[in-house]
Amino acid sequence: MSLFEARRLGEMSPVSKTIVYGLLGLWTLVVLFPLYWVLITSFKLPGQVADGPDYLPFVDFAPSLHAWRYIFVDLGADTFRPYWNSVVIASISTVLAMAVGSCAAYALARLHFRPRLLSVGLFLAALGLVIWALAATAVPWPIALSAGVAIFVVAVFALRRAPSPRLGNGDILFWVISQRILPPVVAALPIYIMFQQLGLLDTRTAIVLTYTTVNMPIVVWLMYDFFVSIPKDLEESAELDGASKLRIFVEIVLPLARPGLAATSLLVLILSWNEYLLALFLSTADAQTIPLLVAAQNATRGPQWWYMSVLIVIMILPVIALTLLLQRFIAKGLLLGAVKG
Amino acid sequence: MTVVLDRVTKSFGRVEVLRELDVRAEEGEFLVLLGASGSGKTTALRMIAGLESTSSGRVLIGGRDVTEVLPKNRDVAMVFQSYALYPHKTVAENVGYPLRVRGGSKEEIERQVREVAAQVQLTDYLDRYPRQLSGGQRQRVALARAMVRRPAAFLMDEPLSNLDAKLRGHMRTELKRMQHELGITTVYVTHDQIEAMTLADRVAILEQGVLQQLGTPRQIYEDPANLFVAGFIGSPPMNLLGGRLEPGRFVAGAHAVPVGLDASAGSATFGIRAEDCSLVEPGAGLLDGRLWALELLGDHSLATVAIEGVPAPKGGAGQIASGGDAVASLGGRETPVTIAVKVAKDWDAREDAPVGIAFAPGAGFVFGSSGERVR
Repeated sequence: MSLFEARRLGEMSPVSKTIVYGLLGLWTLVVLFPLYWVLITSFKLPGQVADGPDYLPFVDFAPSLHAWRYIFVDLGADTFRPYWNSVVIASISTVLAMAVGSCAAYALARLHFRPRLLSVGLFLAALGLVIWALAATAVPWPIALSAGVAIFVVAVFALRRAPSPRLGNGDILFWVISQRILPPVVAALPIYIMFQQLGLLDTRTAIVLTYTTVNMPIVVWLMYDFFVSIPKDLEESAELDGASKLRIFVEIVLPLARPGLAATSLLVLILSWNEYLLALFLSTADAQTIPLLVAAQNATRGPQWWYMSVLIVIMILPVIALTLLLQRFIAKGLLLGAVKG
Repeated sequence: MTVVLDRVTKSFGRVEVLRELDVRAEEGEFLVLLGASGSGKTTALRMIAGLESTSSGRVLIGGRDVTEVLPKNRDVAMVFQSYALYPHKTVAENVGYPLRVRGGSKEEIERQVREVAAQVQLTDYLDRYPRQLSGGQRQRVALARAMVRRPAAFLMDEPLSNLDAKLRGHMRTELKRMQHELGITTVYVTHDQIEAMTLADRVAILEQGVLQQLGTPRQIYEDPANLFVAGFIGSPPMNLLGGRLEPGRFVAGAHAVPVGLDASAGSATFGIRAEDCSLVEPGAGLLDGRLWALELLGDHSLATVAIEGVPAPKGGAGQIASGGDAVASLGGRETPVTIAVKVAKDWDAREDAPVGIAFAPGAGFVFGSSGERVR
């Protein structure tokens, strides 16, 4: 009997079993070790961190709560405010991005849009005009913007019969996802200037709006796939049963898209929760988020690993909790039994 | 109520799926739209439902022009091929959905759901989810959901095609019985000619978006309007011979058979059903050949006789529909033109034995070069 042969049907051979479980164990270590490292570092004194790699609390080093005391007691409000900011910003922007993005994705999955290329061109022309007016003349921006919109509407109406090639849903989807092709840092400065003009710098509103916009393409792209995978028969059947479009969306489509909604919300929430760069641009004190506070621990005295570790631990906890909570929705097989045998 | 398609045409871009279709289902009638895939039968059904718009023509339900009416306001119920059950709702919720959407008291909905569930023997399954049901049960849920609100018409899109053969036969009988009891006009789409023949009051045969014939199953079987219908309906398909028509007889290569027609045509097709033929001593019948194969089918046998010196019928739609092309190329061998003859189950002969084929002179059909019936 060879070690490379399975003992029974549906089992692995002893050798492949050893290799597979060995690799899985190794990978588990790779994934979990940094978390462990962060956790024990949060209980170390600065001196103990400098001493080199000690792994076992109570054996290698005596754990101390000094970093925790500093973050929660000494900093106190200065910890809780960014934390609360993060909670508010991440949840509101996720809800907004999901609400708007899902509707857009459903529309793209079920309706056929045929926008005229000419109208798109006119929009770009009007946009160019507004930018030129703002750059070269002293027109205030509300007037320039209103004039631009007016010119666009009039031009589209005037040229409504002009022949023009048409675009399709695929083009719209590509345009949506192309918003994510540019790294956000490219847009950071224009966004900063925009909110400066609006007087919204260092407010949660500005960050919520930015995150919603930045995450929307991801929501549209992912949810599109989920909506497309729901059999059209179900919606047609509901339509014949007498349900309105809105009712079909709420009662038939959304419950069936629940795994997709859960997975996408989680992803978008984590992206917002961890975002650093745009928050750095848009906030100074009041609207600061928790990643900024983590980064702030790398101060003039060098990186304060122990404080950072505490913040990272409390930053990870809600994400883990939420993942466990949403996991049961991200189950497969919800569509089972809808069609065929 | 009556369901009428009045010169309805449907095109997708330059592709014409239906051309000037005229079909009328009378009050309480069971009308079957029969055709191969791509014949436009499902499109026609979806147009009645309002799930597909018309390019031209009108759709009328109960005398009312509903061409531009939304599906939910047409008062029709549809059973989908996929059943389209709502997977997150229980059987009771599925069946009651049309009532709930239209508004109604909880007790009233529950009472009607129970009543319909009893009719289709689903009472014990009302709390289950579709995924916990077998194919046949799901099918009955779909039926119950259509029946529950007594619509003006039932629309069914191949509702039995996902069931196994035995269950299909059973459900066919139940469906027929149920429709008869409810007396609701039904338009039923299928590609299965047996379903069409057994269920229908009348059958409409479609091919490439064009109505070929509309008639009772008996009319369609006994009096086919053209070569396509003749070849499509019947199992085995009608025997077809190529040749030319002369006054009083049909000449197929070295053979000639008498026909009761006074016309003549340079290129024509002669068709005869297997059950109208009988095997006789060589030389005693109208055609002579050799026994090609003999298959016992239970209550009878099917003898296939090879006829030599006869050209194959050209463009026989029936040959295509019955997969004749695939047979002809089997093993790369030339297959001669054959005629299937229904014989008694205890009839026996060695393969390649010479046999004669006899039939009544008026039993055959003759079709012209473009497939039209020559009468």
